[in-house]
Amino acid sequence: MTMTHPLQGKRPAGIAIGAITAALMLNGSALAQYQQAPELDALVSSGALPPVAERLPANPLVIEPVDSVGTYGGTWRSALRGGLDNAWIARTVAYDGLVRYDREWKEIIPNLAESWEVSADARTYTFKLREGLKWNNGTPFTSADIAFAVELFAEPSYGGGTFMKNPNNPVTVEVIDDTMFSFVFEHPNGLIMDDLASVNGLTVVSLSKDYCSQFYPKYNPDAAANAKAAGFETWELQMTDRCSWATETIRWANPDLPMMNAWMIDDPLTGDATRASFKRNPYYWKVDTEGNQLPYIDRLDMRVSDSLEEITLMALNGEIDFQDRHIATVANQPLFFDGQEGGDYRLGANVPSSMNTLVLQFNLNHVDEKRRELFANKDFRIGVSHLLDREEIIDVVFTGQGEPFQAAPRPESPFYDEEMAKQYTEFDPDAAAAAFERAGLSKGGDGVYTFGDGSPLKVTIDLISSFRSEWVDMMELMQLQLEAGGLDIELNNIDRTLYYDKRPLGDFDAQVWQGDGGLDVVQEPRYYMASGGESVWAFRWQAWYNGSTPEIAEEPAEWAAEQMKLYSQLREEGDPAKRSELMTQILALAKENFPVIGISLPGEGYYIAKNNMRNIAEPMLHAYLYPTPAPYDPFQWYFAQE
Amino acid sequence: MLRFIANRLLAMVLTLWAVSFVAFAIIQLPPGDYLTTYVATLSANGDRVDPATIEALRRQYGFGEPYLVQYWKWISGILTRGDFGQSFEWKAPVTTLIWGRLGNSILVEGLAVLVMWFIALPIGIYVAVKKYSLGDYLATVGGFIGLAIPNFLLALLLMYLSFVWFGTTIGGLFSPEYESAHWSIPRVMDFLSRAWAPVLVLATAGTAELIRILRANLLDELKKPYVTTARAKGLPEWKVILKYPVRVALNPLVSTIGWLLPALVSSSVIVSVVLNLPTAGPLLLRSLTSQDMYLAGAIIMLLGVLTVIGTLISDLLLAWIDPRIRFGGK
Repeated sequence: MTMTHPLQGKRPAGIAIGAITAALMLNGSALAQYQQAPELDALVSSGALPPVAERLPANPLVIEPVDSVGTYGGTWRSALRGGLDNAWIARTVAYDGLVRYDREWKEIIPNLAESWEVSADARTYTFKLREGLKWNNGTPFTSADIAFAVELFAEPSYGGGTFMKNPNNPVTVEVIDDTMFSFVFEHPNGLIMDDLASVNGLTVVSLSKDYCSQFYPKYNPDAAANAKAAGFETWELQMTDRCSWATETIRWANPDLPMMNAWMIDDPLTGDATRASFKRNPYYWKVDTEGNQLPYIDRLDMRVSDSLEEITLMALNGEIDFQDRHIATVANQPLFFDGQEGGDYRLGANVPSSMNTLVLQFNLNHVDEKRRELFANKDFRIGVSHLLDREEIIDVVFTGQGEPFQAAPRPESPFYDEEMAKQYTEFDPDAAAAAFERAGLSKGGDGVYTFGDGSPLKVTIDLISSFRSEWVDMMELMQLQLEAGGLDIELNNIDRTLYYDKRPLGDFDAQVWQGDGGLDVVQEPRYYMASGGESVWAFRWQAWYNGSTPEIAEEPAEWAAEQMKLYSQLREEGDPAKRSELMTQILALAKENFPVIGISLPGEGYYIAKNNMRNIAEPMLHAYLYPTPAPYDPFQWYFAQE
Repeated sequence: MLRFIANRLLAMVLTLWAVSFVAFAIIQLPPGDYLTTYVATLSANGDRVDPATIEALRRQYGFGEPYLVQYWKWISGILTRGDFGQSFEWKAPVTTLIWGRLGNSILVEGLAVLVMWFIALPIGIYVAVKKYSLGDYLATVGGFIGLAIPNFLLALLLMYLSFVWFGTTIGGLFSPEYESAHWSIPRVMDFLSRAWAPVLVLATAGTAELIRILRANLLDELKKPYVTTARAKGLPEWKVILKYPVRVALNPLVSTIGWLLPALVSSSVIVSVVLNLPTAGPLLLRSLTSQDMYLAGAIIMLLGVLTVIGTLISDLLLAWIDPRIRFGGK
């Protein structure tokens, strides 16, 4: 009836998880003695803390250090951009879900859950937690905490978007005992393990029932009145303030909120904080191969700065121990390279998950009949693609880094298809002219294309310069190149909110965005098919597929409808090999129909690390769902004593 | 005098009411609301938000209600409970967010005003008395350079130079060890060791303006017969100038004190961002871009209050230095 661990990440290949788990468990139980950080010794001998063996679970997760077993101590300094930069905390402190991705982003490996089973119909997922896990305040972490989170999110008036709140496939929890529980979905769910292993999976393990139930009227009849007395209009508002979930910023403003992370709040990140800091969690449930309780590093110290200039100068001045976020830009690279000696740091490489520096999306669902017909014509898009001199853009804007690339999976991805990535990327005005002719455009005496009926054709491309400043440079070059080929282009630099508000109206020619979905092909297929609101090129088709805004929904073209059918099957498929097969079919349709135009593969990214900081993997894969560097286990980084 | 103050107070209340109404309306003018921004950020990151959840949040936050209903909820909360509402982005009551930052703003910008006056007044008097001298030209050129250089550029320049010359990054208002400490002599010293940069940057911008106004006014006064009379009677030169003409020349400066604070807050937003000052400016900027309307509304409202109070103070000062004002209109 049930199979063991059939879902191990996106790729079918690799070592079976069961075997790894068994090996680690054996290793764990073989360690007779655990060691702890020296700063905890005094607390234990004074009786303020129980001995390390009692704080750790029965089988702590054993972590293989990247290079070597480390030593305790030190403060890791970095910076947050403004007070709402929760993503950096998620990436450094918070990535500890039921399961996690391995360092190759290939397998899903045990974390808080030591094992799991999936029913053959992919509807029931049964997890076994480690025995004796504790929150950082010493209270046990059990199945009841998971059930509490799901129950709270089931409140119609509460919570953000996660798998626990999906009306198309509701979930319930069955608690078997303190360490065993099952998620039971109404329909098969083939993607839930990826959800749980990604940064989005943190929601379900982020609420301690013991602490958070006091704000919930179901457990505390006074909760609503207490909330009012504390200055909140409703209990939901107080709950979000005190018990925020996952990686929401406000979560780091409440030091009383129990956590399962390697470091816990010391200086909270409140609205007027200029510094947030974290200290060692004495109950952290991971050890290294010699039985040393992790983390090695004592403290995390984050400067809260609205100023990128300040953060950049801090890094140059050696006041940052590890960081890539915000400052590791193309423009800063030569600066940081030159400053290595003075700042006593080194540059390491990371591989972005993004597959494109810019994706040009013509509006295939334009409300204007003539324009819709033109933009939906594949030959028109082929013509545009051939008019772009990508090498020039790469040389001028990206100092030669990258290569011409369409919206297609990255070379590192198992879905990589060279033909898909390279089709129509050569600069070829003649091929473009031929394609425009096939698309029914005619060229006027002034060398500028018009619609077939002779009416003028001006294409307006929306962009937001505040999001990526290099977009303006790229688009200005592209405008020149397209105009040289006879296309009249207007650039429309607008505010981000307006950008989003235009989408449902359908009255825009084209918008640009970055190339998500280079490595996370299955989770983020926005450019391969009309999967969601970010599929701007077919906003009305995705509305039809998602059913969220029926008033603008339009039935998709045949090929797009076929993709949606395949993706729905994929979502319900329990077998990873079959899921890959389905995704390959979706990509083949995308390649054939060429919905959006890519420019270039982003060059390698980099990070800054202090010279004496050790055990940092290189290169690191870098994505949102795979919250780099967290999957590379920052709790086993350490400062070498020299 | 009492009636004068009472009239002013009544006008203040009406002004504030108008400010709150307009501020709230302007914040709601851009398309979309905080949830649009929130969803946009999430989906740009690759997260998916279910439409039903958004609907629930929309109800929870009271979006979609008519403008007047939202405004009434907001303003009645402020009047009855001193409750400025909830910051959506910070998921916390607005009141807990703004006081500290507003305090920092008043501190830094108040210092900037003092420094500005301290520099501009003596120079203004000097250049009026020594018209067309070398000193006059130097001060004028220097003042105009200060006025012409954008504040953020000067801030960047200071940051760069202090990094290159002294190997320090000047940002923020305190060093790490004093950030959360209570006020003490060492903390004040630490504050001064950092605050000089933003204070200098903010002060240079207004200095030229002050110098020119003072110079022009003083030149007018210096030609008047009462100055000649005072000189003829043998009053020492410094007394001739400081006791009467300067006092009269200060009139237009004093009457604009009320505008100084809000002008400084708004002109210091970018400087505060560049130098990472924990003042109200960056908070206001951020809340406007994310459409966190209650937070933005509260800050704008408080700036309005500051302006109105400043205007009252300048009226009182004016009445004190220039007796004609007290009897004005009678």
